Amino acid sequence: MEHILSILIFFPLLAGILGFVVDKNSAKAYGISVAAVEFLLSLWLWASFDTTNAGMQFGEFIPLISQFGISYNVGVDGISLFIVIMSALMTLLGIILLDESKIANMKNMIVSLLFLEMTMVGVFLSLDAIIFYLFWELSLVPMLYIIGAWGGPTRVYAAVKFFLYTFAGSLVMLVGLLTIAYLYHLEAGVWTFNLLDWYQLDLSVGLQFWLFLALFAGFAIKVPMFPFHTWLPHAHGQAPTIGSVILAAVLLKMGTYGFVRFSLPLFPDASVQMIPFILTLSVIMVIYTAMVAFAQKDMKQVIAYSSVSHMGIIMIGVFAMNAEGLGGSIFLMLSHGIVSGALFMLVGVIYERTGTKIMSEFGGLASIMPVYATVFGIMLMASVGLPLTIGFVGEFLVLLGFYEVSPLGTVLAGTTIIIGSIYMLTLFKRSFFGPVTNEKNRNLKDLNARELTALLPLVAIVVWLGVYPKPVLGPIDTSVKKLLVDMEYKARTPEAKETIISLQRAKEEK
Amino acid sequence: METLVYIALFAPFVGSLFAGLFFARSPKNIIVGIVNPALIFISFLASVALAFHVAEYGEVHIKMMDWISVGNLNIPFGFLVDEVSVTMMVVVTLVSTVVHIYSNGYMDHDKSFNRFFSYLSAFVFSMMILVMSDNFAGLFIGWEGVGVCSWLLIGFWYHKKDVTPDINPAISPSYAANEAFIMNRIADLGMLVGLFLIYWNVGSLQYDVVFEKLPHLADGLLVSIAIALFIGAMGKSAQFPLHTWLTDAMEGPTPVSALIHAATMVTAGVFLVIRANPLYSLDAVAGVSYFIAALGTFVAFYAASMALVNRDLKRIIAYSTLSQLGYMFAAAGLGAYWIALFHLAAHAFFKALLFLGAGNVMHAMDDELDLFKMGGLKKVMRGTYIYMGVASLALAGIPPLAGYFSKDAIIETAFNEGTYILWFSLVFTAGLTAFYSFRQVFLTFEGEERYKKYGFHPHEMYKYVLVAMSPLAILAVVAGWFQETFHEFIIAVLPDYEMSHHTHHNAWWLGLLVLAFAVSGIVIAYKKYAQKGENAFKQDAEVENGFLYKLLMNQYYVPYFYVEFIVKPYTVISEKFWAIDKAVVDGTVDMIAKVLYRTGDKTRTMQNGNLSSYLNWMGAGALLLILAAAVSAVMG
Repeated sequence: MEHILSILIFFPLLAGILGFVVDKNSAKAYGISVAAVEFLLSLWLWASFDTTNAGMQFGEFIPLISQFGISYNVGVDGISLFIVIMSALMTLLGIILLDESKIANMKNMIVSLLFLEMTMVGVFLSLDAIIFYLFWELSLVPMLYIIGAWGGPTRVYAAVKFFLYTFAGSLVMLVGLLTIAYLYHLEAGVWTFNLLDWYQLDLSVGLQFWLFLALFAGFAIKVPMFPFHTWLPHAHGQAPTIGSVILAAVLLKMGTYGFVRFSLPLFPDASVQMIPFILTLSVIMVIYTAMVAFAQKDMKQVIAYSSVSHMGIIMIGVFAMNAEGLGGSIFLMLSHGIVSGALFMLVGVIYERTGTKIMSEFGGLASIMPVYATVFGIMLMASVGLPLTIGFVGEFLVLLGFYEVSPLGTVLAGTTIIIGSIYMLTLFKRSFFGPVTNEKNRNLKDLNARELTALLPLVAIVVWLGVYPKPVLGPIDTSVKKLLVDMEYKARTPEAKETIISLQRAKEEK
Repeated sequence: METLVYIALFAPFVGSLFAGLFFARSPKNIIVGIVNPALIFISFLASVALAFHVAEYGEVHIKMMDWISVGNLNIPFGFLVDEVSVTMMVVVTLVSTVVHIYSNGYMDHDKSFNRFFSYLSAFVFSMMILVMSDNFAGLFIGWEGVGVCSWLLIGFWYHKKDVTPDINPAISPSYAANEAFIMNRIADLGMLVGLFLIYWNVGSLQYDVVFEKLPHLADGLLVSIAIALFIGAMGKSAQFPLHTWLTDAMEGPTPVSALIHAATMVTAGVFLVIRANPLYSLDAVAGVSYFIAALGTFVAFYAASMALVNRDLKRIIAYSTLSQLGYMFAAAGLGAYWIALFHLAAHAFFKALLFLGAGNVMHAMDDELDLFKMGGLKKVMRGTYIYMGVASLALAGIPPLAGYFSKDAIIETAFNEGTYILWFSLVFTAGLTAFYSFRQVFLTFEGEERYKKYGFHPHEMYKYVLVAMSPLAILAVVAGWFQETFHEFIIAVLPDYEMSHHTHHNAWWLGLLVLAFAVSGIVIAYKKYAQKGENAFKQDAEVENGFLYKLLMNQYYVPYFYVEFIVKPYTVISEKFWAIDKAVVDGTVDMIAKVLYRTGDKTRTMQNGNLSSYLNWMGAGALLLILAAAVSAVMG
């Protein structure tokens, strides 16, 4: 299976095209089987992944337009491996959760999701800037369709906003990518879009700065960083459950992944230079959006804003410039995917039953739906970062790592453990505690088999990786250390060399 | 020995799963009521066996497996059973066993009987992790774990609705639960900062490594670490100003109050300071240590003063817990770590007993908490009266009961250190303690039978429950007699603290003075609250409208302050932010989009298909170009 990565990328596409001829009534079953195969393939990738190798593995290289050095170039390392697995898992569980009686035109939904899955896996495996950009932009299309076709009342506005906003950012990013290729051409005399070649490119600090900003436009809108986050509440507000799950769990990670894969190794000096800027935006993101989350009346909007707030923690982890923080932030991307995905699923469950997401319509749900309340409670605890759940590991490591960069910044960002629990516990109290205030809710059914099938694996992962994160942290750590060594080696300014703590230096100091 | 450690640690966990997974939904299952206490008792036996082992052969240190390992950071699941942790383990499991058996009776008619046991055992498990871990991160696991269990258990009766508070800021169990969790989280941030500081300066979070390297760190750094860790301790042990959650936590079932909010969890902060004694006894952090002692003394007095006037059966005991925690911090801050630990253990026994006694009263009085509606209960509840009396005597520090030895040692320490202001405050507070404890006991059990007026039909608790409480009663009496044994046992790991000759010389009158305060407290309480007939206690409107009474009744207006100046502004600012987010942040985006759209819309008229207007535009364009060329020619 030397072409495993290509299979992972194109199997969903192929299956999606074939999906058009599948019988309408078996569309969901078809979707589940395809997503399950894809997930098993991703697990197979993990099993055959060499955890001691920090570099790219399973690489495939096919020149496409050799005049311009554009090639089909994919590979996987410890950083992308688990994001790919997580994407496959969340797609699978999301499809399982789909309610056939509620979703009109299931076949189109399945096809869109499979197409979306291809683009997500493609983004995380691409090592060629053009291929990366293609998948990046293509991912907008199925999501636009999912929101636009199955969304709420103002779905068109939300979908168009989502599309145009992120697309505008990506165009600036594209200009940045083309400029890098041009600069590479100036220096080496050949055209290439191979990311691994680009890593060798030595850029002046000034150029790094401007290129950083260009890529920042694309990545930051995707994350979404404050103040570019306002498309997200609209998108979540209108998107169907499955859309929100994929959006929160996977699509946002493209932004942070972009920073790790492109910005850090390409512009080490600019990255260090930009720490105060990133820190400021991230701290605002963490505190401000958490407070906005607290003010929400709609349960889904609370989760949406909380999702933004947690992305702020991931952002500061990316710029911690040490293995603890960076490794933690990649772990946090996974745990954020699992936990926020699960929370959106849970909101979807109650929305399907009652047709509302407004918290004041609920109250006392814990006594009507105890299993639902328990699962929600576990995810809540993971979301506020309780030790021995998946949420703690990443958050702890990010804050620990960033403390070395900025103690004050860490304390400010660390308030997430306080204000995060404020809005989450308030949500829980309003919806689940107290007497049953709405008589209509008294006969609500607890989680059914379909919902449990989708949610229980996530509960298991939340506990498993909270207690024993090593299988995932190990490969991440290996690749992150290599990334830091490369960055430190490449950095020009003494300031950057000082800030980036690769393992080698840590050892020397000991 | 490893097996024993694992049994002690995981038996409660098994109990929690047993009650939770198998019986979460069915109605009361008596098997849970038997299996869970039995498992906790097994854990207790294992802890006792470990105590003997430790006394004989020294500490047991085991590493189970790696937890988090990234960069240079390596955190294992490691467990250290030494004299300090084993003391905590024995105390925790002993009180837990009694409380588990007790809960069988107390939660008899509760529909969520099994759920209760699941949470309660989970709490014991978390507490064991907290005291047994061999590193700060492991301690933090337990630290947060007990926090969640406390949240679950305070909010156990989550279905109760919010009632608008008059003087009591806790409007419902779920409110109190959230308050406790959030307030603890504030302190936890401080604790995390402490952990980060330790990691980046020592390179490890293991106790042994950290304590070995601490003396080599810079003074300022040590002070920062000491402050950060103590902020964490302040949250869990409810020290001022993070204390309001503890009294509100009384919304939980009474066995919970006994176990979590009196005997064990709230002592976690004290445990942390004791555990980190190599840090707090460094000269560089002497200022912080002194601050801990001073704050402890202040809280001891502050909490006792509020207990003087309160009429809520459980809140009085909660204040008394706060006050006694203050005593423990006073001892720890002054360097008498082993005395702090001794008081912690003794306090756990008599305070749990007191709470369980209060639970009996509530059970008898249909969950009534107002002391003014009780009185004269001794006739129907003799057993409970004796228990609560014994516990209160111990708390008041009457010889030869446990509190006499442990509290007296703390007061003597304050004298020995020459901190006479602290010393006198502690002595005076001892008097207050005796007064409010017996005010409560007398109002409940002596005097007129006021409950008859309100139509209560009190009855004594089940026999087996009373029997189950007896170990605590015995320990409340005899625990103090083992002071010397404990001293010898514990100084293997904790620094010894000896009184000076001067103190020894004065010990007799110091002890007598404390005793005099305590006894006069009891006598005043008796005179005022235990009489019948003409002299019987009556509410005095004049006193109740007085400034001082109102101040104390309203808890110095601290909860009011928090609501008005923190909770409400936070809510208002959040709403403002949301408005800004919609109007300004999102508005800007929409505006840009609108400008683009309108520009397009307006300029669309250029391409209306009319040839003459195209020519016009072309002419205008050509003119513009020529103009531009002319300008650049002139400029150039």
